[in-house]
This record gives sequence, structure tokens and C-alpha cells, in this order.
Amino acid sequence: MAENLLEIRKLTAGFATEHGLVKATDEISISIGKGQTVCLVGESGSGKSVTSLAIMRLIEYAGGMILGGDIHFQGQDLASKKQEEMRSIRGDRIAMIFQDPMSSLNPVFTVGEQIAESLRLHQDKSAGEAMKMAVELLRLVGIPAPEIRAKQYPHELSGGMCQRVVIAIALACRPELLIADEPTTALDVTVQAQILDLLRNLQEEFGMSILLITHDMGVAAEMADRIAVMYAGAIVEEGSALEIFDQPSHPYTVGLLQSIPGFEGERGSELYTIRGTIPPLGQLPSGCRFHPRCPHAMDICRSQEPPDFLISGEHRAACWLFEDKPVWSGTNERGGKR
Amino acid sequence: MTEYLIRRIMQSVLVIFLITIVTFILIHAAPGGPTQIMLSPGLTPEVMEQQAKNLGLDKPLPVQYFHWVSGLLQGDLGYTFKNHLPIGELLWPRIANTLILMGSAWVVSILIAIPWGIYNSTKVYGLSDQTASFISYLGFAMPTFWFGILLQQYFSLKLDWFPLSDMHSRGREGDLGDLFMHLVLPVTVLSLGFLASYMKYARASMLEVLDQDYIRTARAKGVVERKVIFRHALRNALIPIITLLGMDLPILVGGAVLTENVFNWPGMGRWYVDMAISREYSVLMAITIVISVMVVIGNLLADILYSIVDPRVKLGKQGGKAA
Repeated sequence: MAENLLEIRKLTAGFATEHGLVKATDEISISIGKGQTVCLVGESGSGKSVTSLAIMRLIEYAGGMILGGDIHFQGQDLASKKQEEMRSIRGDRIAMIFQDPMSSLNPVFTVGEQIAESLRLHQDKSAGEAMKMAVELLRLVGIPAPEIRAKQYPHELSGGMCQRVVIAIALACRPELLIADEPTTALDVTVQAQILDLLRNLQEEFGMSILLITHDMGVAAEMADRIAVMYAGAIVEEGSALEIFDQPSHPYTVGLLQSIPGFEGERGSELYTIRGTIPPLGQLPSGCRFHPRCPHAMDICRSQEPPDFLISGEHRAACWLFEDKPVWSGTNERGGKR
Repeated sequence: MTEYLIRRIMQSVLVIFLITIVTFILIHAAPGGPTQIMLSPGLTPEVMEQQAKNLGLDKPLPVQYFHWVSGLLQGDLGYTFKNHLPIGELLWPRIANTLILMGSAWVVSILIAIPWGIYNSTKVYGLSDQTASFISYLGFAMPTFWFGILLQQYFSLKLDWFPLSDMHSRGREGDLGDLFMHLVLPVTVLSLGFLASYMKYARASMLEVLDQDYIRTARAKGVVERKVIFRHALRNALIPIITLLGMDLPILVGGAVLTENVFNWPGMGRWYVDMAISREYSVLMAITIVISVMVVIGNLLADILYSIVDPRVKLGKQGGKAA
């Protein structure tokens, strides 16, 4: 397999609050290969979005900061870059799309202007040229009559179209990495499928990598090559999509998969839920962060945090149930080319 | 757009017509009349009645109203009871004087408040923000007449930097430098009032916009921070500010009663008080109507500007949504 495009090691990011530093992600490690789609799954408040903002270094604008670890992107450490340097990477080599397309577009500029802005920023295009390319991009993301649409304002477009525009903005400079933070959550189910299809087609066309953040296991199943499951700021399990769905190991992953309402099972039968709620930031329990909600909690879980155990190949889980397995080295070796 | 304007102007005419009725009724319902103020010890009831007759005050109210409104329609604001002077000729110079004073204060405060408010929104609770906040509280809390007197005490009586009051020094009418010196103190007083609200408003409006998702999108595109603020955020933040500025337009003509009195400024505010004391009904009605027209024009201007800055507002049309 090819070299990793993005390699995050022990990334800790958080916020300074009245009660001191609160970690939103705790030493998380993920790697994304070229052309790969990695899904970051977990419930609200698990630190998925903070991870994406940290990679983009937009976390500083949200009142947070990177507290430790590094983010290797094509031989550069993004975590230690200056904002000035990040600015030339953002929107050019790493782009991002967000959850709510309607509010992600500036209401006072036409969609054409908003797409053209990226091109003018990173590719020194003239206004006219950029606008022409913007129209082409609109066509590429499947918007009919792009010449007309380019001159319209976001409020004149539907949610699904707005998300296509947001994708066009993100893809304008052909990024190597696209971070999509819950890109379909705010959309109708039928539109969701169209947007996912679009992303997959564009990925194939451009060969870009995608970090897809979602709370929806169905979306992950549809899109992911690899899946990382996040819980309360840590990655508790990571593996290929097949491994995660076939052989979920961490009790949290198992619980997540069981909570998906399926077609089988009796109608009216109780839906599985993981009891309890995710602990608030800064109030993590001792030992394993999942133990208060875990059906398999043992004594050791209450006192000691589990390391990542290597279940097989590139499949790891941070759970004492796998104590007999070897401890994960901290990176996914890919063809020994590091 | 034209259709919208025509409709709005028609509406405005109706509103102003209703205002004439309300103004007329309210003023005539108030106790005391123009004849009473002319009372002097030697005046007999017969003479008073004759006076009222001369002024047309003996006619029934609807007739008086009709006379007044038909005058208005021909641009005739009426005459003062005392001395029988044409109100129009008295009014315009005073409006001009007030406009000079209020307009200067308005422009000065906008030029300071909006850039400062924007700057503070990017550095919340910094030294500059705290200072601005303190000044705003002063502006809200200090009675203008008191602040005016304070300035006169110090900068005029003690330091003798600026003239104490009036609009011109005697014999120097038309001298702009002299006018400027007379403007400094009252404009300071009035600007502080405008400044307080504009600065708070600009800051709050910017802060709200800076928190929006599209600002994050702009940053994710790699837009430099200066452009994030001035291009992406400011255009959105200006929308509510424009409304506020538009609604303050009538004050520019209406004048500031207290400040004009403290600084003996020959403007509308002072005149209104003088005329109210001497029961000059026609003058009070004329001023009310002029200010009402300004309110209507101010709102119309704000709406038009609004539609220019905010593409979501389409005047006169229902904004269509495409699927």
C-alpha cells in the first residue's frame, strides 16, 4: 500500500476554560493513505469535529488549541506551522466541508463569487478566469444550468444544492485531502445518498483522500476504507471497514452497531441502547473512559487506562478484554515504507 | 423596485395624513390656548374674542384643520400667532442650524464608533475594548446637559479654548473657522451619545457574524484574516447597523433639546421648547409634521439601503426559492 498522506500522532487538542485546560481529544493517532477514505465515527461530543478543526488549524479560531502531538501531512508538521503558512495549505491542499450547507455559505455573495475566491487566492487567477472555472466546478458537482446558478445567492438554492456548492468550493483547487465534517447530516435522506455518491465519484476522479466525520454507521459502511471509532476524545478502535463491521471488538463499537435499527428483528421490540451518556469534557472517569457504560467492565478497567491492543493486522482496540494481544506500536506500517 | 417605491411613497402619504390628524387633535386637546398666553391685565374678554377671530381660532376645529392641511398641501406651514411671521421662513434656517450640529455629531460618531467597534470585536475584552466599553457607559449614563456644562466650565471658562455658546461670534457669521470652534463642544457632547450606542451595536453585530459558519468556511478556504473581517464579516454585520443609522436620521433634523439649550444653539430643539412655552400651535404642528416626514424618509432610505447590502431582501418581490 502507498505511503500515508496524513499521519496524526498522539494529537491532543483542547480548550482553556475557567476550570483549566480541557482536552477534547486525547493523544489520538490516525493515518490516511493516498486515495483512501477514513471515517471517524462516534456520538456527539466525542471529539470528532475538534480533530478536524485541529488538522485544519482552525481550532485556534474556535477558542481552542493544539496541546501536543503532531500532524504529518506530506512531510510537513501542520501542528507546528504558523497560521500564515497554514493559510496557503488550507483550501488548496487540504479542504473542508461542513455540516450545515445553508449556513456555511456567505449570504451576501453569489455562489460563483464564493467558489472563484478560492481560485483567486491559491491559483492567482483573474476574476474572469476564476468565474469561468467556478461555473465548470458547478457543472462538475452536478448543478444544472451552472451559468445561471453561479450568479445566484445561497438563499436561492436548496440545501442539497448548497452542499454541492460547498463541495465545489472545497474541490476548486484539487486538494489532496478533503475533510468532510458530517456532510450529509443536515440533508434529506435521498439527498444524502446523492451527496455521498458525488463525493465518491469525485474522489475517484481526483484521487484525493477523504477524512469523513460522521455519527452515522450507515454512512461509514457506505464510504469507508478504514474506520476509527472515537469515544470521549480517544480512538477506542480502528480497523478496516470490513474488520469493524465483521469483527467489532471494543464494547463501545459493538454497542454502536447494535443500536442501529435494522430491517430484521421484530417490530415493536426494544431498540438496543448503550446505557448512560458520554461524559462531559474534563470529567473523564478513572481508568478506561468507557467503563461506566461498559457491560464487560472489570476491576482493571476502573483503575487503569487500556493501551491499544493489536487485534490483527491493522485492527486495534483500546480495551482490557484483549490483554493477551500485543500492544499496538503507534503507527500503521504500510509496506514498511516509512 | 420602482413599483415598490411608488407603493411605499403612497403608503407614506397616508401615514403623514394620519399624523396631521393626530397632531392636530393632540395639540388642540392640550390645556391652555394661544389667546391665554396673550392675556394681559388690561385685556377684556371682548378684545380676546376679537383676537381669536382675527386668528381664525373661533371657527370649529374641523374647519381649522381643513385650513391648516390645505395650507400644508401648498407648502404653506402657516403663520405665528405673535407677530404673524411665516413659519416656513423661520423654520428652514433652524433646520439648517440643527443639521449642521447634529450632522457633524452623527458623522463624527459613525467615523469613530464603527471602525472602533469592528476592531474591538476582533479583540474582545482587550484594553481597547474595555476602554470603549467604559466610554459607552459614560455616554449612556451621563446626562447631556450636565456633560455640556462640564465641558463649558473647563474648556471654555477655565482654559478659554472654545467659545462658551452660540453658533457664531458676533459679526463673524459665515466664517467657517469660527463655526468650527463653536461646534467642538456641543458636537463632543452629542457624539458621545451616538457613539455609545453605535459602538456597542457595531461590536455586537460583528461578534455575531464572526461566530457564523460561513466565516469558518472563509477561513477554511485560506482567506487572510483581514479579508475575513472586512470582506466576509463586515458586509453582513453592516446590515443591522444600517437600519439603526436610518432610524436615527430624523433626530438630525429634530435636534437635541437639551444640548441646544445648554449651548444656546439656534436650532430646532431650542425653538420647539420656546414655541411650546408660548403656545404657538401652528409652529409646533409644523415641526411635528417636518419630523414625521423625516421619519418616513429615514425608514424608506434604510429599507432601500438594506436591499442593496442584503441580497436576501428583494424589495417588492417575494424571494423565490429554487429546488
